[in-house]
Amino acid sequence: MSTTAPRRDERSDPRYARPDASMSLLTNVMEHSLDEGYAEEARRSGRYGSSRLPGTLRGKLLLGLGLAMVATILSMGVSQVQRSAPVAAQQRQELINRINQSTTTADGTQQQVAQLQAQLDQARRTAASGSGSTQLDLLELVTGTTPVSGPGITVTVDDAASAGTDLNNASPRAGAGFGNTGRVRDSDLQLVVNALWQSGAEAVAINEQRLTNLSAIRAAGDAILVNDHPLTLPYTVQAVGGPTLQQNFQDNAYGGLYLAQLKQEFQIRYDVSAQGGLSLPAATVGPLLNAHPSPSEGTKQP
Amino acid sequence: MIAVLGLVVGVVVGLFVQPDIPAAWVPYLPIAIVAALDAVFGGVRAMLDGIFSDKVFVVSFLSNVVVAALIVFLGDQLGVGSQLSTGVVVVLGIRIFSNAAAIRRHLFRA
Repeated sequence: MSTTAPRRDERSDPRYARPDASMSLLTNVMEHSLDEGYAEEARRSGRYGSSRLPGTLRGKLLLGLGLAMVATILSMGVSQVQRSAPVAAQQRQELINRINQSTTTADGTQQQVAQLQAQLDQARRTAASGSGSTQLDLLELVTGTTPVSGPGITVTVDDAASAGTDLNNASPRAGAGFGNTGRVRDSDLQLVVNALWQSGAEAVAINEQRLTNLSAIRAAGDAILVNDHPLTLPYTVQAVGGPTLQQNFQDNAYGGLYLAQLKQEFQIRYDVSAQGGLSLPAATVGPLLNAHPSPSEGTKQP
Repeated sequence: MIAVLGLVVGVVVGLFVQPDIPAAWVPYLPIAIVAALDAVFGGVRAMLDGIFSDKVFVVSFLSNVVVAALIVFLGDQLGVGSQLSTGVVVVLGIRIFSNAAAIRRHLFRA
């Protein structure tokens, strides 16, 4: 039915769309570039095709007003662009200035860092050669974290020959227990060391185990432990001190007199001799985990 | 005469008086200018076609400028401002070109 419809009706028939219907928007833009209002107005006034410039004064004024508005908006736009260009350039220049300024500041800071580094090096060098290093050395000596050498005495203490520990000299653990009265006990060594400190010893080591403020002389099983190291016989106590150290020690109640008592009663063997040049090793002190310098107390000069 | 005077006054006002445009309106000025150009070319073509109307010219100019700026403003609010302004410029550019072609045909018969 519909296929027999006349061709001239195609355009009015909605079933027959224009081939460029999908481009109607573009077609509209292309074909109706002129405002429809002009044609309508011309048709209404009956001057279609002959209306060129307005003849009336009112029309002329309106055209002048319109052209004035057009000229205003155009020149405003131009001046806006002209004005914003220097602003943009100014902002750009400002940014460049800020970059340069920041670069200069960074350079200055870098120089300052280098200067402070040099100052720090200088200060460290000064401290190393001045009183600070003396104090540090002293503290290291006192705490036993540095090897020391100097004159002093050596106190050698050994079990009584009857204790039977001589046979397995290097292994006190295999010997008789501390119940044997012929054996040197940890408390004996503690007393001897205390006597040495009292007599003016400045550094003490037992069997190459340097005594520090963290050292303990204790018994574990059949062995005497210093700094948690088991000692082997004989016990050699080295003490650095002045020339009066030996005499003081011999006269001390828990020094020479006590050892003499032990020798007399239990046949403990001991020997005290002055040494010209003793060399005491440094103690291996682990890091302190809980002790911190108290800020309120300040540091006391040793 | 009055038309030329209007043009001169407009240029003087735009260049030297420099009316303060609110900063929020500044981005829409280029679009308004393109719309104004479209109205001007349309007016010239209508004049050459012999169907010019001062009323239509002024009204079409004002509505073009306002609508173009409004469309771009709306696009800015929706986040498609640059795309919409491109679209507006494309449409107005096509109209300007076809009007200019019509003017050329009128003036040069080619």
